[in-house]
Amino acid sequence: MERRVALKGMAAAMGAMVSLPAWASGWNDTSLGKVKFFAPDQAETLKGAVEAIIPKTDTPGAGELGVATFVQRMVTDCYDKKVQDTFAKGIDNLDAQSKKAFQKSFTEVTKAQQLQLLQEVEKSTDPDTKSFFGLLKSLTIQGYMSSEYVMTNLTHFEFIPARYHGCVPVAKG
Amino acid sequence: MANFNIDSQKARTYDAIVIGSGISGGWSAKELTEKGLKTLVLERGRDVQHITDYPTTNMQPWEFDHRERLPKEVTDANPIASRCYNFKESSQHFFVKDNEHPYVQEKPFDWLRGYQVGGKSLLWARQTQRWSQFDFDGPARDKFAVEWPIGYKDIAPWYSHVEKFAGITGNKDGIDTLPDGEFLKPHDLNCVEKYFKEQVSKQYKDRHMIIGRAAHLTDPQQIHLDQGRAQCQSRTICERGCPFGGYFSSNASTIPWAMKTGNMTLRPHSVVHSVIYDDKKQKVTGVRVIDANTKEMMEFYATIIFVNAAALNTNLILMNSISTRFPNGLGNDSGVLGKYVAFHNYRASISGEYEGFLDSTTDGRRPNSGYIPRFRNVYKQETDFLRGYAAGFGANRITYSDPANIGESLKASLLEKKYGNWSVGSHMMGETIPKESNNVALDTNLKDAYGMPLLKINVGYDDNDEKMIKDYIEQVTEMFTNAGFKNIRAHDGHRNPGNDIHEMGGVRMGKDPKTSMLNEWNQLHAAKNVFVTDGASMTSTSTQNPSLTYMAFSARSVDHAVKQMKAKNL
Repeated sequence: MERRVALKGMAAAMGAMVSLPAWASGWNDTSLGKVKFFAPDQAETLKGAVEAIIPKTDTPGAGELGVATFVQRMVTDCYDKKVQDTFAKGIDNLDAQSKKAFQKSFTEVTKAQQLQLLQEVEKSTDPDTKSFFGLLKSLTIQGYMSSEYVMTNLTHFEFIPARYHGCVPVAKG
Repeated sequence: MANFNIDSQKARTYDAIVIGSGISGGWSAKELTEKGLKTLVLERGRDVQHITDYPTTNMQPWEFDHRERLPKEVTDANPIASRCYNFKESSQHFFVKDNEHPYVQEKPFDWLRGYQVGGKSLLWARQTQRWSQFDFDGPARDKFAVEWPIGYKDIAPWYSHVEKFAGITGNKDGIDTLPDGEFLKPHDLNCVEKYFKEQVSKQYKDRHMIIGRAAHLTDPQQIHLDQGRAQCQSRTICERGCPFGGYFSSNASTIPWAMKTGNMTLRPHSVVHSVIYDDKKQKVTGVRVIDANTKEMMEFYATIIFVNAAALNTNLILMNSISTRFPNGLGNDSGVLGKYVAFHNYRASISGEYEGFLDSTTDGRRPNSGYIPRFRNVYKQETDFLRGYAAGFGANRITYSDPANIGESLKASLLEKKYGNWSVGSHMMGETIPKESNNVALDTNLKDAYGMPLLKINVGYDDNDEKMIKDYIEQVTEMFTNAGFKNIRAHDGHRNPGNDIHEMGGVRMGKDPKTSMLNEWNQLHAAKNVFVTDGASMTSTSTQNPSLTYMAFSARSVDHAVKQMKAKNL
């Protein structure tokens, strides 16, 4: 029988017990400085892209709601290097396509042109481009739908429902 | 100097010591201190004060950087903890990290632990079903393990005792395989769950689907208000710790209650090394502790000791308690210590959809679900495997939005909630058969950061478990099909044993000291002032979520211990 034992890093763990415990950090970090994966111009392109995917109408769009920071943080913290590289390449490619089509960077073209560029990317059959766009769109939707603005004002999330009714009519309209 | 030593020893002497502050240790502490015993409660982890130490409990969903998903750094470093459904951004601080507390897996086993005051009572699933006489009869009838030394009538009053204090919601269903208890008002079943309940009753004479019985205050009574607890607010984020005390935990209930008596001393950061057997006095006199911060070894003394370290750590402590009288572990004359470990088989689940009740939905949230009590092999043996399984059951109205396109049309469709069919789902909770070959032992070489030997876990599934999975899938698929559910899919997740967090045994109860560790009072046959009332004491596992039974054992055992102590028998 194979004997498997995880002893690695125990010394480090013991050291951690006397300093600030690991559980006390991380969950209250609101600084954007922690997100360091993207270069500043990539971050700007990303911000333009999330706003184009979910734009401002009579309510704020994803850009204004800080969804780009969320997307960046998720890609940086929750995915492996391969996904991160594909994602960064996808962002660069978006900018390159913009320069090719409109002779301007993605952040400088009109909203209609941004949408058009993203729609072209959505149609791509290239596996890397598809996985980039799939992740960009799903994280943008997640970040937008779980933003404070949307949950508070549009979908009316109840933190403390204090009830459960098992059978009520579906609300009309 | 001599006087100083005597004084110091006196200061470290109590009437009782409880090892562990989780669901069973909390109960031992409450009962002992209420009966007037000066009690030392030893907890290996840090203190977690009710409310104060629930750092995430009032955080809104958008306040979590990764919306409850854990960073890759954390999941990569903690593959074992990461396989637990409850290990997330809001609750990770209540879980033991893989590399901080290593163990040896002879076979894959996910050992999930919570090293803090309250232990895993902060994280549990809160389902609380009583055992029935059918469950206690199992080993004797089906000839495995050893006969239970007690039956339902012995434990029933103690179930009532702990239910009233903990607060259990449920419905009096009158099912002989699942005795009714002292219930607060039941949660609602929803339309599809009610429909399924009716279908099951119509089609099978001895199968039932009921609302779950759970440790939630749906209707708090004076005894709960006296604990400072309030009505459950249906937030369904229990694993963060509940500021209302809406569900039962040691932190919200038994520990502060014991503290209020003035008889409890709580000592966190106290890793128990062993229970002290004094070969001269021929009895257990106390406990050796390693201070987790200073690594200093110290001793505490008491007349009676309750070992409530959680099933496998209780095994570890007793195996590490070596004396001339007990060279193979405390109380281990029989040689069964560490053996006959069992767990619950949670591998299979079934999902489906129902196309009825499309004009209805649910409102609010519910920290509970439906429950199908065991129906297999109850009255007689009827399959090619022993024992049976209970099952969870739940239905939810599917809502979705159309994520097609991008731009303004995407935004509009995201905010337009659409209703789909109802989703239905079930998961199995199977009894496993305790066997000598499923066991734990101390590693002879490897030690942890405190110098304690690592636990070697050698626990796996067997042929009986595989047959039971097959039968669960067949039977519940048939029940779903008969109810008109569509798109039925069965799934065997092949989860590792231990992932159920219902590991039991190793210090089993029994009638015969030659084949068991504990008598009918959870008392070591060979060291009468030591009591084990956590999962380690379980002779067999039945199908019920086990915590309620550990609570009842603890209260019953303390009652016996204190009577014996007062009669000067201990």
